[in-house]
Amino acid sequence: MFRRDFLAGAQFVVTLALAAALTTAVGLLPSHAAESLPDLAPMPETKPGNPAMIALGRYFFFDYRLSGDRSLSCASCHDPRKGWGDAQALSTGYSSMEYFRNTPTVVNARHRRRFMWDGRLDGADAGTLVRDMITETHFMNMDSRLMQERLKQIPEYEALWKQWRNDDINGMRVYNVIGEFIRTLETTNAPFDRFVRGDAAAISEEAKAGYALFKGKARCVSCHDGPLGADGKLHNTGVPEHPDVLRNPLRTITMLRHYATSGMPNYMRARVDVGAYAITKDRRDTGKFNTAQLRDLKYTAPYMHNGVFRTLNEVIDFYDRGGGAGSELKPLGLDAGEKRALREFLLTLSGDPVIVKDPGQPEFAVRTFGRN
Amino acid sequence: MQWRRMLASCAIVAATTVPPALCAATYPALAPLPPVPVPRDNPQTPAKIELGRLLFWDYRLSGDSSMPCAVCHLPDRGWGDGAPLSRGYPGTKHWRNSQTVLNSAYYNKLFWDGSVTSLETQAPAAAEGSVAGNGDSSVMEMRLRFVPEYVEGFKAVFGTDWPRINDAWRAIAAYERTIVSDARKVPFDRHMNGEARALNAAQLAGMKLFYGKAGCIQCHNGPLASDQKYYDTGVPDHPGFQDDPLLQITHRWQHYQRGVPEAMYRGATRDYGLYYQTKNPKDIGKFRTPSLRELKYTAPYMHNGVFTTLQQVVDFYDAGGGKAFNGTALLKPLKLTADEKQQLVAFLEALSMTEPLVEEKPRLPGGYRPLPPPAQ
Repeated sequence: MFRRDFLAGAQFVVTLALAAALTTAVGLLPSHAAESLPDLAPMPETKPGNPAMIALGRYFFFDYRLSGDRSLSCASCHDPRKGWGDAQALSTGYSSMEYFRNTPTVVNARHRRRFMWDGRLDGADAGTLVRDMITETHFMNMDSRLMQERLKQIPEYEALWKQWRNDDINGMRVYNVIGEFIRTLETTNAPFDRFVRGDAAAISEEAKAGYALFKGKARCVSCHDGPLGADGKLHNTGVPEHPDVLRNPLRTITMLRHYATSGMPNYMRARVDVGAYAITKDRRDTGKFNTAQLRDLKYTAPYMHNGVFRTLNEVIDFYDRGGGAGSELKPLGLDAGEKRALREFLLTLSGDPVIVKDPGQPEFAVRTFGRN
Repeated sequence: MQWRRMLASCAIVAATTVPPALCAATYPALAPLPPVPVPRDNPQTPAKIELGRLLFWDYRLSGDSSMPCAVCHLPDRGWGDGAPLSRGYPGTKHWRNSQTVLNSAYYNKLFWDGSVTSLETQAPAAAEGSVAGNGDSSVMEMRLRFVPEYVEGFKAVFGTDWPRINDAWRAIAAYERTIVSDARKVPFDRHMNGEARALNAAQLAGMKLFYGKAGCIQCHNGPLASDQKYYDTGVPDHPGFQDDPLLQITHRWQHYQRGVPEAMYRGATRDYGLYYQTKNPKDIGKFRTPSLRELKYTAPYMHNGVFTTLQQVVDFYDAGGGKAFNGTALLKPLKLTADEKQQLVAFLEALSMTEPLVEEKPRLPGGYRPLPPPAQ
């Protein structure tokens, strides 16, 4: 509704209509039909990471000194007690700022094909993702070089670093260290995975019915496939705008600033979240966002790129309607029982809570003067 | 040009045999300040100055919206911050003294190591510097665009649809060009402008020492009482400099971010000053000669604020300065008597206004407002 209000007269109407027309005409990505039928998959086996890096990365993840004013750690927004997100619709971000999108969980980052809601980062490179979060002005606003000098004045970190490699703490490598830690955060022991691996009793009959709907009538699997239930692609499902993005100027500031620094044309005219368009500058990408994973939904409400839905029921209702304005989807016609089954099934993709204890922050102690 | 050449030749002579006093006549004399130099691409207008005044105080021009220019340049603390070392961005400690804005319009370069060449470039260097304002230019610009008074103000002054961050720095520079000594209130200037008894006997005696026995004029010359050159006078470390991790962090950050060779970075024991600019080992430890105007209001002194009184500064130079890397032959023990030191301090104080230039914090434009729908 607010989308329509704010769009009135803006060029985005044309863009969205165009995008919708194109996607509707083409249908639901026919390439999927040509391949073997997409399906969900259990969490794959992974090789353990580098233990020294992981130990150090865990410290860094919880350390407030990795933000410009030492007020935020990675865990401030990616709180283990809140599904490694912040449980808010829209992220808060750095001191005196507020962000315009939802904080996603970092769990299963190692299996993501693309990072960020607009898909702007490649999933193979967790270190770059970490660097962006730490140095970006509206997240942690940290100068890498200052971060390096801070960490060098903490003897415990120096010692842990030496267990990994025989050189000095280096700003660039810090990001990879945190990336290595984040890669250890994975969904384990999900009922769905046990079910697929042969434990027929791992999920309820209702959930099994939900699985059939997932692959059939509800067609969720057309975008939500693979071990995470995410195709790593960009889609426009017409998620409504979160009203606070325009109501609260602090959020509009970070949104338009993101567009400005991404080089998006006419960014001062934007009044909706254009999604991937800001990155690709291809009008067909307006309103497209990176498919969210379906793992750990139990712990990661609210949902969508702007947290506009508080419950899975709202999400299912939304897709049952075929999504919102400009959506590439069609209405599903699910009845109440089918929706319940679907919800029941979705929850089987969540595993045990991923618990990591905050190791605390070792104190600063000055290095030997004149020896750096 | 002419006096610079004379100055150079004199400095060479002075460095070898001739006592400084003999050369004094060839240094540009102290004098009342000329009109403020204004760059041709940023002319002064009342509206721009007023806009700059607001921006100078506006907290939104920093990373966390807590560090406007005025936090480190407080009018009632001599337009510095009154502390030995600048407070630095929250979570950091700066390792240098916050300099006064007063008369900064006359310097050809700014910061203690002369790292920027105009007020227009000093403002962003401070607002964006990681241990100062830590602001991102694009986010600061976007913030201004959500304050309707600024949208109007920038449009009126610069003719743009939306505030642009570079124009904010230009407006702040224009405002800073108004923060200058008023010659009518400076005893020394009144003396030079012909007013009898503007200086008392002690001050006159101090002036004679300044030009003569104390040799201050060798570096502190011209209307600004600064030759705008760089010297290593061997100013001692700030107490705690070696032991405070936060000071070491920012100090070593400076080495790292200014790109000194690795061995220099690893062996860092002191603030390298001008060396960060030139990477010439002969410039290690050199800092720009500060103006001597308004000293009354701008304690503590030196690039690291290590001296809290003018008496201490005079004692330091009386001893011929400190232990320097690249010491200057201009400094030698002066053998001033206690009376002479007092006279010198009296004269130095006569280079300050008899009352401080103080400005109240202006009423800032209100909070952020939602953007109107885009114009058709």
